[in-house]
Amino acid sequence: MAKNKRHGEDYVTPVRRILVGLLVFVLLAVFLVWRIDSPRVERFRAQIVDALVPNMEWALVPVTKAAGLIEGFQSYARLAEQNQELRRELQQMKAWREAALQLEQENATLLDLNNVRLDARLSYVTGVVLADSGSPFRQSVLLNVGARDGVVDGWAAMDGLGLVGRISGVGGQTARVILLTDSSSRIPVTVQPSGQTALLRGDNTGQPPLEFIENTEEVRPGDRVVSSGDGGLFPAGLLVGEVVRGPDRRLRVRLAADYGRLEFLRVLRSHQGERIEDAGALIVLNPVLAPVAEGENAGDISAQAVGEDGEAGQ
Amino acid sequence: MISPLALHRWAFIGLFLLLSMFIIFARILPLGPVSEGMPPPDTIVLLGFAWVLRRPDFVPVVLFAAILLVTDLLFLRPPGLATALAVIGLEWLRARAGLMRERGFIIEWATVASVLALMLLAERVVLALLFVPQDNPGLAVFALAVNILFYPFIAALSVWGFRVRRLAPGEHAAEARLV
Repeated sequence: MAKNKRHGEDYVTPVRRILVGLLVFVLLAVFLVWRIDSPRVERFRAQIVDALVPNMEWALVPVTKAAGLIEGFQSYARLAEQNQELRRELQQMKAWREAALQLEQENATLLDLNNVRLDARLSYVTGVVLADSGSPFRQSVLLNVGARDGVVDGWAAMDGLGLVGRISGVGGQTARVILLTDSSSRIPVTVQPSGQTALLRGDNTGQPPLEFIENTEEVRPGDRVVSSGDGGLFPAGLLVGEVVRGPDRRLRVRLAADYGRLEFLRVLRSHQGERIEDAGALIVLNPVLAPVAEGENAGDISAQAVGEDGEAGQ
Repeated sequence: MISPLALHRWAFIGLFLLLSMFIIFARILPLGPVSEGMPPPDTIVLLGFAWVLRRPDFVPVVLFAAILLVTDLLFLRPPGLATALAVIGLEWLRARAGLMRERGFIIEWATVASVLALMLLAERVVLALLFVPQDNPGLAVFALAVNILFYPFIAALSVWGFRVRRLAPGEHAAEARLV
């Protein structure tokens, strides 16, 4: 019996070893294919995510909500304190609101006078954050909008206030947003009053540093940082955050978007602008028609766009 | 008819799959910012290592590889490389599971730590050779330290929580006699 068993093991072990070797070979082949033909494998990755994550949504949503509930209870504990704080803020906001209303009216009349057509790029699709999907060093979230909703790689994603990241990887029903804090994220930005251009480089911390500033003296903490639209990556003028001086004396950006609770993100439709290559092509032969968001009329969009402009202008 | 021994084994293989799914699920919950604090440990790899040193038959290599490949794809890592290295590490430990039983836990911990360190080193070397952009080495070393510090907890949970223990000499025969 014992002899028989050993005989069996002698037969099984080498076969097993070959199979494990084969498995490792296949895995390394997958890695090499990814290295050689990254877009195809990334598309495959998006499909896998697309197949897995929406199936887990039924479980993800209640747990997330429950966690939110607990957080809510914790904040009830310091309700009175918060109430005071909110009252104070409300007072300040009222003043701002007056100013904003006046500015909006003024803006509307001026736009009317000038017969300005607003940038059609400011229409958007809103998605809900399904899952945090990053390893410790990759910062990304998954949205529940995808190719089905017309989302395309490279579009910008914002929360209500500021830029959050860019779309990278689109499945049928999901899309991945690479956050500005991811270490592979590089965004061209403008620092507002001085007009200095810089590059915002994600480095896995909450406050990414600014790089390649031409004249550092002109940039002060507190300056506003907006996307510059250089390279045609993003629409220009999206609020990114404000300049702060980090503990290491570098200029960093405190992001305007609330990274602590990313829940709804709007994905801005951006369209390739006409690229003018040389003097002869200055006249655009086939002007692109202004895209219109589905299910909304043009007046709505321009109203929203005015709202957005107002937000960005403050 | 299924033998109780086989049933027992399949139950634990199922438990491994279930635990892995739970770990993935917990990782992708959209709670709070990802950036701050310490990187989460590679719990699935640690769990696989802790189990394979105790009961090699509870961690089928194909299942282990499949789960890790899914996490590679889901968590935006280069697919396949880390999984291949983890499979090599798992098989290396599996071959030494018999040796480990005579030695104490400290030796086991040190062995697992060096396997993890070699996996990280190999991964970074391969990535560097193929010019894949990498994060700074400090963070990777920090993640490795977190993994190594976490291993005793995973091992304790496996032994006392899930009762994944090495078989005593007569035990296998006793279980086999039930068949």
